[in-house]
Amino acid sequence: MRRLYLFLGLVLAVLLLLPGVLNNYWLEIFILIFYYAYLGQCWNILTGYTGSISLGHALYLGIGAYTSTRLVMVFGLTPWVGMFAGALLAMAVGLCIGFLGFRFGLRGVYFVLITISFAEIGRLIALHMESLGSFMGLFIDFTPGFWNMQFRGNVPYYYVSLGLLLFSVVVVRALELSKAGRYLVAIREDEDAAESLGVNTFKYKMLAIALSAFMTALAGTFDANRIFHLSPDRVMSMGMSIEIILRPIIGGMGTVLGPIVGSFLITLPAEWTRAYLSEVGRPGLHMVIYGFVLIAAVFFFPRGIMPLLNRRLRPFFSKEKE
Amino acid sequence: MDLTLVLQLALQGFLMGGVYSLIALGLSLIFGVMKVINFAHGEMMVFAMFLSITVLLGWGVDPYLSLVAVAAFMFGIGYLVQRVFVNRILDLPEAMQVLVLVGLAIIFENGTLMIWGGSDISPKTSLALSALRWGGITVDVPRLIAFVLAIIITLAVLVFLKKTTIGKAIRAAADNRYGALIIGTHINRLYGICFGIGAACVGAAGALLVPLMPAKATMGAPYTMISFVIVILGGMGSLIGALAGGLIIGVAESLGTVFLPSSMKQMVSFTIMVVILLLRPQGLFGAKS
Amino acid sequence: MKETQPEPQGIDRRTFLKTTAAAGAAAAITGFPAVVRSQPKEIIIGSNQPVTGPLPDIGIAMQRGNKLAADEINARGGIKSLGGAKIKLLLGDNEAKEEVGRTVAERQIKEGAVVLVGPFLSGVAMAVATLAEQRNIPFVIDVAALDAITAKGYKNVFRCFPKVEYFMKSLGVYLDQIIKEKKVTIKRIAVTNAGDAFGRGQAAAFVKFVKDQKLPFEIVEHIEYPLGVKDLSAEVTKIKAAKPDVLFPVSRPGDAKLLIRELYKQRVELMGIISPGSPGWYEPEFVRDMDKLAYYVLDNVPWVNPKSPVFKEADKQFQKQYPGKYLDTNSGYAYLGVLVIADALERAKSTDPAALREALRKTNFKENPMVGGPVVFDEKGDNINATAAMVQVLPDPKIDDRVKVVLPKEAAEAPYVFPWRQLWDRG
Repeated sequence: MRRLYLFLGLVLAVLLLLPGVLNNYWLEIFILIFYYAYLGQCWNILTGYTGSISLGHALYLGIGAYTSTRLVMVFGLTPWVGMFAGALLAMAVGLCIGFLGFRFGLRGVYFVLITISFAEIGRLIALHMESLGSFMGLFIDFTPGFWNMQFRGNVPYYYVSLGLLLFSVVVVRALELSKAGRYLVAIREDEDAAESLGVNTFKYKMLAIALSAFMTALAGTFDANRIFHLSPDRVMSMGMSIEIILRPIIGGMGTVLGPIVGSFLITLPAEWTRAYLSEVGRPGLHMVIYGFVLIAAVFFFPRGIMPLLNRRLRPFFSKEKE
Repeated sequence: MDLTLVLQLALQGFLMGGVYSLIALGLSLIFGVMKVINFAHGEMMVFAMFLSITVLLGWGVDPYLSLVAVAAFMFGIGYLVQRVFVNRILDLPEAMQVLVLVGLAIIFENGTLMIWGGSDISPKTSLALSALRWGGITVDVPRLIAFVLAIIITLAVLVFLKKTTIGKAIRAAADNRYGALIIGTHINRLYGICFGIGAACVGAAGALLVPLMPAKATMGAPYTMISFVIVILGGMGSLIGALAGGLIIGVAESLGTVFLPSSMKQMVSFTIMVVILLLRPQGLFGAKS
Repeated sequence: MKETQPEPQGIDRRTFLKTTAAAGAAAAITGFPAVVRSQPKEIIIGSNQPVTGPLPDIGIAMQRGNKLAADEINARGGIKSLGGAKIKLLLGDNEAKEEVGRTVAERQIKEGAVVLVGPFLSGVAMAVATLAEQRNIPFVIDVAALDAITAKGYKNVFRCFPKVEYFMKSLGVYLDQIIKEKKVTIKRIAVTNAGDAFGRGQAAAFVKFVKDQKLPFEIVEHIEYPLGVKDLSAEVTKIKAAKPDVLFPVSRPGDAKLLIRELYKQRVELMGIISPGSPGWYEPEFVRDMDKLAYYVLDNVPWVNPKSPVFKEADKQFQKQYPGKYLDTNSGYAYLGVLVIADALERAKSTDPAALREALRKTNFKENPMVGGPVVFDEKGDNINATAAMVQVLPDPKIDDRVKVVLPKEAAEAPYVFPWRQLWDRG
């Protein structure tokens, strides 16, 4: 396993040094890769490790973004603190949804539908709240400075998003190695069996959704201070929820590196098709191709890419002791 | 509260509910038999709407007449989609299925965009503007026709599934996939037919909606959502449930605008979905598993 | 605040040096003064429009407007003060998403864009405007209405389109005129709007305007419906119950057709429809598909000036290239946006962003194909002469000629009709 860590360390070193050679456009692409990898990782905590699929994760993203932004607007509170307020609020909402879902024994597609419902209800409410800018959304002031989490160039955003991603990797790895993590995997594999063995499945699933919601919301603050416009149709929509789940699913759910690998594999082709095909003048073509690519990815990697990578690269990275 | 207003709204909602029922019926079939969340449901309907418009503009055939042809064409598309794409994911984990169906939704929506462009198209059909007036209540003729035809088609599908051999085989396969496999049912073909019928249902619904509203490539998603609400309300796999659920949701949404701003209309459906999921997940007519 | 230079463009340094070397050689041979940096062969402009997403027809129209202007300038010999340099327009699709808009703009800047134009949607405009401010690249907003964008005090943002405040100002003037000239009394009004940023913003601005100006109207019903709604029967039922004199709808193309149909079917009596400013009422599809039902709708929108020679020529070209479409508000402003950029380039005699920004600030662009005075930007970046016109759909055997400017009188093609004939009385 040492070789694997060495390799990962090398990758990390490269990522840390990239801003020295990349221009703003490429930094932007990497920021998107890290950002969505982070979101995918947060989602992974709930779904990859417990098997409860959430299609309403954008709700937490939105709560995080709106809360910290409002705190800036009303109290001038720095987003670095505000983001935790948002995360706590999101965690509370996640716990409510989790409570309703898990207590009432909703599994599989029923759980999916309830997550969708709450996310949509949340979006509709946000669309009508004057304090959140209702339909117009919030137009955020550009005041560059570390304490405002806003910067002129892309380099600081790059490091913040990379930092978030590393944070999520550490959290997930720690979870994997912990007792809680093992219980979560047991729940994913066979919840009833785990229950019968005495695992308090409810408690651990709640832990998962709380952690997942908390971490997702942190990214919302990052996003608000990078895009400068918040609207429920952007940060709380089904579309965003789908974006969040794409990368971990293709990369491999329930694995630490899955969302990251998935993020690289999705964001890069998506940007290429957009850059080279949208100029052809046939609106929608690059999206059709994107759709086919998604389907092809599932056909070729029905369990995600990581399991395949694991098989191929294991002999290289770990020496099997006979 | 103005009684005429409420009655008018309820009636309009009820009639629209008929079309919703038809759309949901397709989903209930697909869902009930293959256990697949068809995210592309609404988008397939929009595709069918445009097909029907093309027939109207090209050959002057009214959507009510071309309905059968459009439905048949959509059956073919549905069958192909099932055999080529959906079949391969039936045994995959749910999340992978979601991805493929989301991919299909993207393909249908943007394919429609590529072929027919992005504008709203609402061609004149013979009855688009006629209405019956009675007391203070106006009844929209196209809506009435859509309702009647939708109900007829729904009942026809129900009869097909209950009485014909293929229909019974489909229902058997729904109840027990592996059992059906063991006794040698051509399960792939069955699933193909099932998905095809589901697609035909939305195809017919699309044709019925052409006189009612402008067609736009990107309008599919809310219909996918609402068909889910209806299927849950009615009960997964219950076809009567889809029928009843559609009517109920139609009325509920319409009446909801009395109390809520119209843009919150969808809140009604989602709240209903939450309540049902929590209190009675098998829906009104579903079987308790 | 210290002026910051634009970021060095990584790979593009090479291209820059290559161009410099070539131009330097040319300068040496031809003996031209070696003001090498401001004599590029190509000036790159980034167009950022919502080509895919929920508003594809508008996005495509905008892109075509940008392109029409760019092609025309190139046909006329390019930017003369820069040695006939041609405009290269990069066509970007922001998919109606802020994030994509930003990425597209970053890419265009990387590829050498010296100025950006677009993006129709106010949310995307905010994202791109902030990026423009971060990178110090001028951004000319051809169309985007929400006031908040120019309220941030960005140096690099220039907006051709009238902001919502100006819309309302024009509307007030026209309403006044209509009421006086036609000697009518309007007491009860109903307002509707689609549930998106623009719809809400516009409707709210109108309601506020009515209150602030203490206009003698009573808003008896104000209905919002979700964007992309396919069924307005419930909403129209409520409108009918409220018995308004005039309906003031803020809509998108799809809802306009739905509204008219429902109003017709439910026999809602009105003096007329006056939109405070929204798309949907003048689009070719609406006029064609609704036929007689479209007549007499009044819309307070920024519009092309039918009497402007610049417009007439451009419209001719547009219709030739895209049969069945005409140059309308959106494509017209998209066209204007690129013209304004070209004019600034001519005066700046350089593609340096600071020089371009200065030149844009001093703009006094008279060849305006739109209704309104010459384009002049204030310190916030708003075009102070931007105004709306009142257009009306009037009977005419040629469908494409039905949408006519009726106010202000100087630009009017025909007298306006108010009150209208009821929808079901039109034979």
